Amino acid sequence: MKRIIDFITNSRVWRSFFRHGWPDNPLDRSLVMTTNVFFHLHSVKVSRKSLSAKYSLGLGLISAIAFGVLSITGLLLMFYYAPTVERAYGYITILQTQVPFGQLLRNMHRWGAHLMVIAVVLHMARVFYTGAYKPPREFNWVVGVVLLILTLGASFTGYLLPWDQLAYWAITVGTSVAGYEPIMGSVIKSILLGGPEVGQEALTRFYALHVMLIPGAILLITSLHMWRVRKDGGLAAQDAAVHDAEELAEAVEEQSND
Amino acid sequence: MTENTKNPEAFSEDASKTKTYSLVELVKAPTTMVDKGPDDTIFSFPVVAIMELLLTLVVTVLLLMMSLFVNAPLEEIANPNTTTDPAKAPWYFMGLQEMLEHGHPTLMAVAMPTIMVLFVIAIPYIDNSRLGSGVWFTSKRGKRITLYTAIYILVVMPLYIYIDTTFPLRELLRGQMPDFLLQSVIPALIMGVIVILPLLVLIRSKPTSREVVMTLFTVLFVSAVVFTLAGFLFRGPGFELYWPWDMPGNYSPWDNL
Repeated sequence: MKRIIDFITNSRVWRSFFRHGWPDNPLDRSLVMTTNVFFHLHSVKVSRKSLSAKYSLGLGLISAIAFGVLSITGLLLMFYYAPTVERAYGYITILQTQVPFGQLLRNMHRWGAHLMVIAVVLHMARVFYTGAYKPPREFNWVVGVVLLILTLGASFTGYLLPWDQLAYWAITVGTSVAGYEPIMGSVIKSILLGGPEVGQEALTRFYALHVMLIPGAILLITSLHMWRVRKDGGLAAQDAAVHDAEELAEAVEEQSND
Repeated sequence: MTENTKNPEAFSEDASKTKTYSLVELVKAPTTMVDKGPDDTIFSFPVVAIMELLLTLVVTVLLLMMSLFVNAPLEEIANPNTTTDPAKAPWYFMGLQEMLEHGHPTLMAVAMPTIMVLFVIAIPYIDNSRLGSGVWFTSKRGKRITLYTAIYILVVMPLYIYIDTTFPLRELLRGQMPDFLLQSVIPALIMGVIVILPLLVLIRSKPTSREVVMTLFTVLFVSAVVFTLAGFLFRGPGFELYWPWDMPGNYSPWDNL
């Protein structure tokens, strides 16, 4: 077994793919993380505390997983869709009744979208209650708020696409709220809808926002979000040691003041 | 410099002659390693990779299972001439739509959400102490503050929604008072009092900025949940309040998902 592994991991083909050997030793385990585009999001070593499910509840990752599921199912849904008032609804019924696994695909996209909104909101609450927004992570908190707003935008723009009564009136009600804003309200509303009410222009715009602009922005800003997590010193869970030290310092100071 | 590196002996001799020491700063802190072992770290590979893969599988399988049993809703084709009753925004905006029932749109749909978003963005700049970073609720006291604030909001907000809907003073007094006072000033004052009240209780025990922010965020977060649930589950035809299981006609709030 050892000889087979050695043979494979020393071959020129393996070495051209992965610039490291079989990861059963500290060096190769480090190289896995630093030479792989996906793994390099993580540091080579992580503190045990930041892996605790009780601490992070895995909510950030669940949001990212939901985004991944939505990207894949969304891409597949695009094969059976056209963003026109005449054809959108028809495509949805065809998808549900004639396309193999079409209904399942749409279900996963729908429930995945709700899951992502819930996960992102809970992730924010988790970060708040664990005090993980504190310095030096202030800016990453702001980035996170932007991502929350983008997530709501992605879900909202997707809501219109089936072009049924539910979609139409939800977007009508939802965008009428924008119209209440006294200064820019009517401008924002007409930019969003491309007209006085929900129609073909709105469907075109929502489609472009939903499949391209907002997911693209989420992908880009999520990269920034994760990069900042690394640059700001990983999850705040490992700050607990620092926290103890500061508390001790304060206690010492108070005593010397007395 | 290049000469020195070529000849290390000359370099060290030179350095020993010129090296001086200066006191840069005095730091008031315990020595870094007192009472602390080395940082408790492990290699990310393969543990993190496996954990992430597992979570991905679990989430995807759960989504798949749900999708097998529950179908996404699809109503008739959109018809601008027939309004659905009730006409509801997507569930995550139902808190906003519910707020619209309780005051002037500019206050409820513009001013309040703007204040909320700005507050959330400002949190790390209001509370910029590092104390308690990475610790759930910071302390036992923080946990108690969060719990009591949550219970307080869970009682007050549903009551407010219920009273404002069933005894619509704002409707009864319409015409007797200026609209601006009735629809904007008074609701804003009521909301303000609801938010300030727990802070007044807290202020007597000299709270840290973290505890103040924790109270405000809990007010915001639990209120958002209450308003969203009220709008999504408890509003039926005519946008009236009903029990979710006792909706008139064959309307079910879950169909709006």
